[in-house]
Amino acid sequence: MIGALLYLRLTSLRNLVVYRIRRLREPKYLIGTAVAIAYFYFVLLQRPAMRNVPAAGAAPAFAGAGMMGMAVLCVGLSALALVRVAFAWIAPADKPALRFSEPEIAFLFPAPVTRRTLIHFRLLSAQFAILFTSVLMAFFFNRFGYLGGNRALRAVGWWVILSTFDLHLNGTNLTLSRLKEKGSGFLPWRAAVIAAIVMYVLAVAWSAAAYASVFPPGDFSSARAMELFFRGLVHSSPLRWLVLPFRIAFGPYLAVGIREFCLAMVPALFLLALHYYWVSNTEASFEEGSIALAEKRAAAKAAAQRGELPKVGASKPRARSGPFPLSPQGPPEIAFLWKNLLSMRSSLLNRRTMLVTLWIVFCLAFGLRPLLAIQARSNGFDIYGPIIVMFCGMLAAYTLLLGPQVARQDLRNDLPNADILKTYPLEGWRLALGELLAPTAILTLLLWVSILVCAVAVDSRGTLPWLTPGLRVTVAVCMGSAAPFLCFIQLIVPNSIMVLMPGWYQASRSRGGGIEMFGQRLIFGVAQLLIALLVAAPAAGAAALIIFSSQWLFGVGPAVAIACAVVLAILAGEAAVGLWWLGWRFEKLDLSTEIR
Amino acid sequence: MIEVEELTKRYGSFTAVRSLSFSVRPGEVLGLVGPNGAGKTSTLRCLAGIIPASAGTVRIAGHDLAVDPVAAKRALAFFPDEPKLFDYLTVRQHLAFVARIYGVARYEALAKPLLEELELVEKADVLPGELSRGMKQKLVIACGLLHSPSVIFFDEPLTGLDPLGIRRMKDSIIRRARDGAAIVLSSHLLHLLEEVCTHVLILKKGDKVAGGTIAEVAAQFSDGQPDVSLEEVFIRATGGSET
Repeated sequence: MIGALLYLRLTSLRNLVVYRIRRLREPKYLIGTAVAIAYFYFVLLQRPAMRNVPAAGAAPAFAGAGMMGMAVLCVGLSALALVRVAFAWIAPADKPALRFSEPEIAFLFPAPVTRRTLIHFRLLSAQFAILFTSVLMAFFFNRFGYLGGNRALRAVGWWVILSTFDLHLNGTNLTLSRLKEKGSGFLPWRAAVIAAIVMYVLAVAWSAAAYASVFPPGDFSSARAMELFFRGLVHSSPLRWLVLPFRIAFGPYLAVGIREFCLAMVPALFLLALHYYWVSNTEASFEEGSIALAEKRAAAKAAAQRGELPKVGASKPRARSGPFPLSPQGPPEIAFLWKNLLSMRSSLLNRRTMLVTLWIVFCLAFGLRPLLAIQARSNGFDIYGPIIVMFCGMLAAYTLLLGPQVARQDLRNDLPNADILKTYPLEGWRLALGELLAPTAILTLLLWVSILVCAVAVDSRGTLPWLTPGLRVTVAVCMGSAAPFLCFIQLIVPNSIMVLMPGWYQASRSRGGGIEMFGQRLIFGVAQLLIALLVAAPAAGAAALIIFSSQWLFGVGPAVAIACAVVLAILAGEAAVGLWWLGWRFEKLDLSTEIR
Repeated sequence: MIEVEELTKRYGSFTAVRSLSFSVRPGEVLGLVGPNGAGKTSTLRCLAGIIPASAGTVRIAGHDLAVDPVAAKRALAFFPDEPKLFDYLTVRQHLAFVARIYGVARYEALAKPLLEELELVEKADVLPGELSRGMKQKLVIACGLLHSPSVIFFDEPLTGLDPLGIRRMKDSIIRRARDGAAIVLSSHLLHLLEEVCTHVLILKKGDKVAGGTIAEVAAQFSDGQPDVSLEEVFIRATGGSET
């Protein structure tokens, strides 16, 4: 029976590859693939140009650095795995222990196969992803020449690590499901396991601290010294026994030669076999949960294909009152602002998000202050102000560059309703204007907050004599006036891409989708950045020219104000042209022919 | 009033609708029929201003759709086969939004009887996600009728409705026509056309095969036989296949 399931997986995989290759005939997929391949070639396969990097394992210093790098990697991965498993026990997911797709459920659940066969099928399916990831990881980490080692052996090492972890997580989920089914004892069991994990972590920490306290203090600036410390640490008792399962799992990956690799594989495969026995012999129900989850995933996939935002994990929308009373008469654009703010409140601006954001800002602002005061006392330099300015500057940059990708309550979100929108008695530009108002308002608000905080925090001690209060206010007001135009233009870009190439846009919005989708998203990101620079260049150039040439005549403040007026005129012109084009293009858009 | 002259819609080298001409007067209901791929949906979408026609003229209530699309669209309503609604707007908010778009002053006075007629009063503050398909369809109709359109387009109006919903939809179409609206509907359900339509237009591969009142079209394909059903007429007119 497992042969039939293997056939299903392999045939599906082959057909998927053939389908993906065939669709390369379409330029959007071909270009996306080319860009992604170029990206992976330069990022994964090309070794970074580093000076003085000898061949793998040639110099002791670099061998030490390599070992160090791998040790840090293994410790990091072990910690992550531990946290993941602990999380599964602390907050067991409602999801089923083993997941199946809708067609798998339709064909396999009623089929004359045992539950154990279904488990095998699930484990086998996971192996395809694990194998692919192993190869990718081996390539990615081996690009740093000083890690050395054979890529094939490293890939097998990754396979052992990932397979062991996958089996452990499956075993944990199945055990949790089984305990939940039994009802009684679920909570005590969970408490006991969580307590065991905590005690294990404490024991590891105590052992490491004990070793560190007796380790002769030395110079840790060299990689060699650090390596010696780690080697001693891992082999010290009782730590060597505490981390034994991790050492076994990571053994093949850390092996430096064929012989050492083969020796490490024996206990690693034994550990893998133990995990397999655990998973295949744990009797737990997964059918009902799988069906419910598969239906949910199918609905989310269908929604994504219709062009709606992915809603996996999203809370159910709730009816809310409008952001302001909407009168039946007046500019119709306001109706779109009203509608999109309403949907934005439900998704982006819900109370929980706002509270969490405010809490983070509060902690950063007031928690950082005493820490930095201590630092300021020691060296006499207060960096609180510069940090605030830097943080707000970054927020402003992210708002301008990434904000339009996040705040998409505009034409992009209404693409599934394009047919209805086009029957409205509105010119294209008015419809586009209405659609863009809500995200523009939100992004502008964020920019205004950043500008305001920057205006207050920059040079708060008044060490710059030329930064007078008047100039400070003038610059802030000028930047604040330009903010809505900049946000508006930045939002026109992705909306224009969407109406210009709806097929590309829709394809890039689907979850996953392979290498070509990755390439397409990369192209969109770069296009957004380039267009932003192109649009800002004339305004920035004009402003620089005016300030430079007129400050001698009127002073800096008035020069900035004059430059601001010119900048606003340029930005308004660009926004008007962009809006007209977007509206015109939307009127011509025929989704039925363009989304394929 | 709908006047269509030499309407053509091309997608690249493929012609979906070829030189189609017809008119629908107030009070008339025109049924658009044809096999799959005949060009029904393309025709309806061109008439509603959703997609631009490649050639020809469409006049809605006297306004040329290509020259003055805003005035033409002010007079029409289009009901797609799948109810398309905004996820985060309640029933009442949908009506408020549409009222603002069409500038319907004191829309509450119009919305109330509409909600009552369509049995949506109890669902007025509910989001579309909580409505059944039939209810969603009703909400789409309420939104479409709020500005009292004189021209109405239905694309497969009975899709997904239960028997009661089908009956009500038929009654609604007939009532709107009686009130003076010019209506075009596309459907595969020939019994619907027989019950509701005054005229029929049969398309095949983008060409007009037959058009006129149901009696006229039936006479054209009856071969002298009495009481030929519309289904039989359809099969004879289209040659019994899609190609």
